[in-house]
Amino acid sequence: MKAFVVDLSICNGCYCCQIACKDEHVGNDWTPYAKPQPDTGQFWVGIKETVRGSVPKVKVSYFLNMCMHCQDAACMKSCSVPGAIYRREDGLVIIDPEKCTGCKLCADSCPYGAIYFNDSLNLAQKCTGCAHLLDDGWKEPRCVDACPTGALKFGEEQELKEWIDKADPYRPELGSRARVHYVNVPGKFIAGTLYDPVEEEVIIGAACTLKDVDSGERFMAETDGYGDFWFKDLKDDGTFLLTLEKDGKVKAIEAISTAKDVNLGDIPMV
Amino acid sequence: MPKKNTKLKTRDKTTIKGLALGGHGAMPAAIDSKDGKIVRIRPMHLDEKYDREQFNPWKIKAKGKEFDPGYKISQAPFSLAYKKRVYSPNRIKYPLKRVDWDPNGERNPQNRGKSKFVRISWDEATTLVADEITRIKKQYGSYAILAQGDGHAESKIVHAAHGCQYEFLKLVGGSTYQMRTPDSWEGWYWGAKHVWGMDETVGLMNPKTNIVKDMTDNCEQMLFWGCDPETTPWFYIAGLPSRLCYFWTEIGIKQVYICPDVNYGCAVHADKWIPILPNTDAALQLAIAYIWMTEGTYDKEHVDRLSVGFDKFADYVLGKEDGIAKTAKWASGKCGVPPWTIKALAREFAAKVTSIIHSFGGSMIRGPFSSEPARLEVVLLTMQGLGKPGVHQEGWWKGFPRSVVTPDESPARRGSMYGYFWPPPPQVLPKTLIERAIFSDTPIKWHCSGAQICPTTDQFKEYTYPIAKEDGGTEIHMIWSDTPCRTTCWGHGNHVAEGFQHPKIECVVVQHPWLENDTLFADIILPVNTKLEEQDFGIDRDAQYFSVFLEEKSVEPVGESKSDYEVVCEIAKKMGLYDDYTEGKSIQEWIKTAYELSGVKDLVSWEQLQEKGYYVVPIAEDWEKDPAGMAQFVEDPKANPLQTPTGILEIYSESIAKHFPDDDERPPIPKWIEKGITHDERLTSVRAKKYPLLCMSNHPRWRLHAQCDDISWTREAETGKIKGMDGYMYEPVWLNPLEAEKRGIKTGDIVKVFNERGIVLCGAYVTERLMANVAYVDHGARCDWIKMGEIDRGGAINLISPIGTTSKNAPGQATSGYLVEVEKLDMAQMQEWKEKYPESFNKEYDPNSGLQFNAWLA
Repeated sequence: MKAFVVDLSICNGCYCCQIACKDEHVGNDWTPYAKPQPDTGQFWVGIKETVRGSVPKVKVSYFLNMCMHCQDAACMKSCSVPGAIYRREDGLVIIDPEKCTGCKLCADSCPYGAIYFNDSLNLAQKCTGCAHLLDDGWKEPRCVDACPTGALKFGEEQELKEWIDKADPYRPELGSRARVHYVNVPGKFIAGTLYDPVEEEVIIGAACTLKDVDSGERFMAETDGYGDFWFKDLKDDGTFLLTLEKDGKVKAIEAISTAKDVNLGDIPMV
Repeated sequence: MPKKNTKLKTRDKTTIKGLALGGHGAMPAAIDSKDGKIVRIRPMHLDEKYDREQFNPWKIKAKGKEFDPGYKISQAPFSLAYKKRVYSPNRIKYPLKRVDWDPNGERNPQNRGKSKFVRISWDEATTLVADEITRIKKQYGSYAILAQGDGHAESKIVHAAHGCQYEFLKLVGGSTYQMRTPDSWEGWYWGAKHVWGMDETVGLMNPKTNIVKDMTDNCEQMLFWGCDPETTPWFYIAGLPSRLCYFWTEIGIKQVYICPDVNYGCAVHADKWIPILPNTDAALQLAIAYIWMTEGTYDKEHVDRLSVGFDKFADYVLGKEDGIAKTAKWASGKCGVPPWTIKALAREFAAKVTSIIHSFGGSMIRGPFSSEPARLEVVLLTMQGLGKPGVHQEGWWKGFPRSVVTPDESPARRGSMYGYFWPPPPQVLPKTLIERAIFSDTPIKWHCSGAQICPTTDQFKEYTYPIAKEDGGTEIHMIWSDTPCRTTCWGHGNHVAEGFQHPKIECVVVQHPWLENDTLFADIILPVNTKLEEQDFGIDRDAQYFSVFLEEKSVEPVGESKSDYEVVCEIAKKMGLYDDYTEGKSIQEWIKTAYELSGVKDLVSWEQLQEKGYYVVPIAEDWEKDPAGMAQFVEDPKANPLQTPTGILEIYSESIAKHFPDDDERPPIPKWIEKGITHDERLTSVRAKKYPLLCMSNHPRWRLHAQCDDISWTREAETGKIKGMDGYMYEPVWLNPLEAEKRGIKTGDIVKVFNERGIVLCGAYVTERLMANVAYVDHGARCDWIKMGEIDRGGAINLISPIGTTSKNAPGQATSGYLVEVEKLDMAQMQEWKEKYPESFNKEYDPNSGLQFNAWLA
């Protein structure tokens, strides 16, 4: 069975995957695999960006959204035409463009928003895994070939086992048994810069202790040469207590919520 | 039921094309075509037809990890999408003439850029051009023709995108040549060269041999100073720097970004972002020097042995010269970085082995007085052991392991080398001074030809336009351009528009594939095809492995278009100069010549090249022994002198002191210049009361300068274009939420970015990726004037950049770090414009690709 792995830690947001997909499918008719994709508005492989934090602790995270080629695919169950959505022997799920009647049920059923509706062709459309190319001897779909960093991988599940084993569960509650696996999904961060307002100097080597108020778990860090501390990959919607300590001076910041990434700014140690 | 589909024909043929858009060859891609159309564009895999061992593959090992550059030549997103450029609805399909330009009657120069065009035949078009050349030559002399043929473009060799007309005009008697001047390395050219020479690399550090390995081995920290490794290298090595940055993170090299914006590199690679107000880097640099001097944390031996003039610089920094100590507090007030962060940066820079990375462009190097931050950067590096292991400037450009040869495209190139000229032709004009020349009724004078590669001493040479009459000197009366992006790519574009409309200019000829920007000022337009429609020779001398390749035709030309070279051939035929221009050789013969002169002849036979289609140049066996960067200079400066008068680093420039004793905008030692006769663009200016934001401009994320603004697939990226409430796709202006809130602006709003030089409409993108007090717009968007020279809807921000040059004796451009205000557009105002300028709103437009070819047809 084929699978995709997306290593979000090395996705640089270049959009090459999204554009290669359009290059392959816009204006090219690969019936019986897929009819042409509209020029704009459909993202069979789509990049979503999130700007996290605030000046000057800002990161951008990119997420790649595509058909998950689920083993337990909601679209297949919802489809009103027998065989119009089918799974190939290699596991790729295909909407047959010649059988689809345009009822849109699949598009509504997909929990990942990966199925688009083509009004002019009256057709549901989505990623085919470039099955037409695989059948022509290609090893990878276009998006994977175009990825400059190796963030996007494709292959047999066994070949990708090492990656799949360490994948972060993505929406496991759906029970869809998706064949797209995400690794290194970033958690929330709490960051700041500690400084001495009298001396106008950053404070280096301060002990930073972050306590998860709910679980009691503690995370430790030390301010670096820029007076910065970073706690990364924290859980969503947690509540934390931060204690900063250096040379007997202590500063505590309470009730930090990780509903969003948190920049605590330049913190005067007084 | 599970089933397998049947095999489809997914291509007829595959051709190789270098899709770097820099004008010189790079980034071979595989182009698949079927039924006469391009099907797909994909990265080329160099090991497809060769055994990898033949390349003598290189890897860099460090701290137990290994960097393997791989064999895939990655592509920029706009290169992958280049099919959209070939089939753009904006392609010029046949020759055109402006409706109200009559060479035998009224020429209506004032209507350039406003009037529409009618179709003419190739025969009529080339006759018109040939007749104009002949008439102009007879009436004024051939130097009255300005050849604009420089800058970035498609990478073509035989069909050279730039300067074919210049080479041809040599046969007619010569022309006035537009000298490119820097458009990505301004400060290093106008400033850093005076400290360290580096003529061949336009003022950036040279040599760069092996610095990628050396930085990997030795750096503890890298300062990405106004640098975006995820954008600017896209046009010559695409995704390779991205991979390197991830590797450097993996091995623990700290990456610090100093820039007003969270650019695309900062977004994913930064360990630390230090936001700094646009074009205030000199203040930060001076404070760093102050801290090192007062704390004794610089390499005194290095400074004493390898530089001159440090004492004078120290007097200025410490306040002995002007009474102002350049402390962190002083700098903080100028640059917006907190004093504690300035001190921390200074100490980290001193304590850790640090290189500074650029890869061209960015917020630091392109503003008013850009010579100063560039010079200061070299001084800072000097103070920390420039040339020692891990102490370098730049990055990956020319820094990878050495190949056995570097293929050379220049011998067979049929156009001039995009402004490389040295020595320059007799009558020249720097690209920045064209309008000054047109509007002046007396000769103009300046210093430096503006040639890309020239000795630093050229900056002390006085040039005059026009040259003496007895030497053929004349004002220009005709413009022939293959580079029609002056308005949106260079500075003060609105003023450029006025220049094109001047009655002195009797004829404007433009050859170009797309009806955009300066093309609209033409009287005669000649349709050029893209490189996918031609057969050529290709060279990559930038990627992890250099290569040469035969570029077969991917598809037939669109419409009646011809290559840049063929266009000029057609005119040469009309003037009886065809055989002289072509030297009697066919395209195929020139391609063979390109191979023969490229330097790879002894490595690969013509037959083998034809059989495989490409050849990969092996890495030199002994590449690891190449001294890194400036190591040899450091070791023995007498034997390896710099191209400076003293042969060492000139922190004080005796030459500047001698030639420009009264220049307080580029004094003999680098300084902070608050304002001067040339520019008044700081937040401290009285102008800032009306225009309180500093506008910065990076090289565009989704274009290469003016190229590729019409690609629907990049326009729909999050930061591509912003769809306004009127359905128009606006160029984004980034604003910090604080500034947006003050002005009642939300993401998606149509806003005016403006100053005394005009109004540019943009779409607001409110983001934490930008510090307060700044407005950020990428340059190079396609002009779409509502009112010519005053109000633009296309988002071409350079239209309102300063008219003044880099500084009074440095005729560069200043296109980042200048004052503007941003306001939400009142829709009543838009309505008023619609009523006043209905023509501007009634042009055929598609939000996916912008203005269409038909928009300008009468």
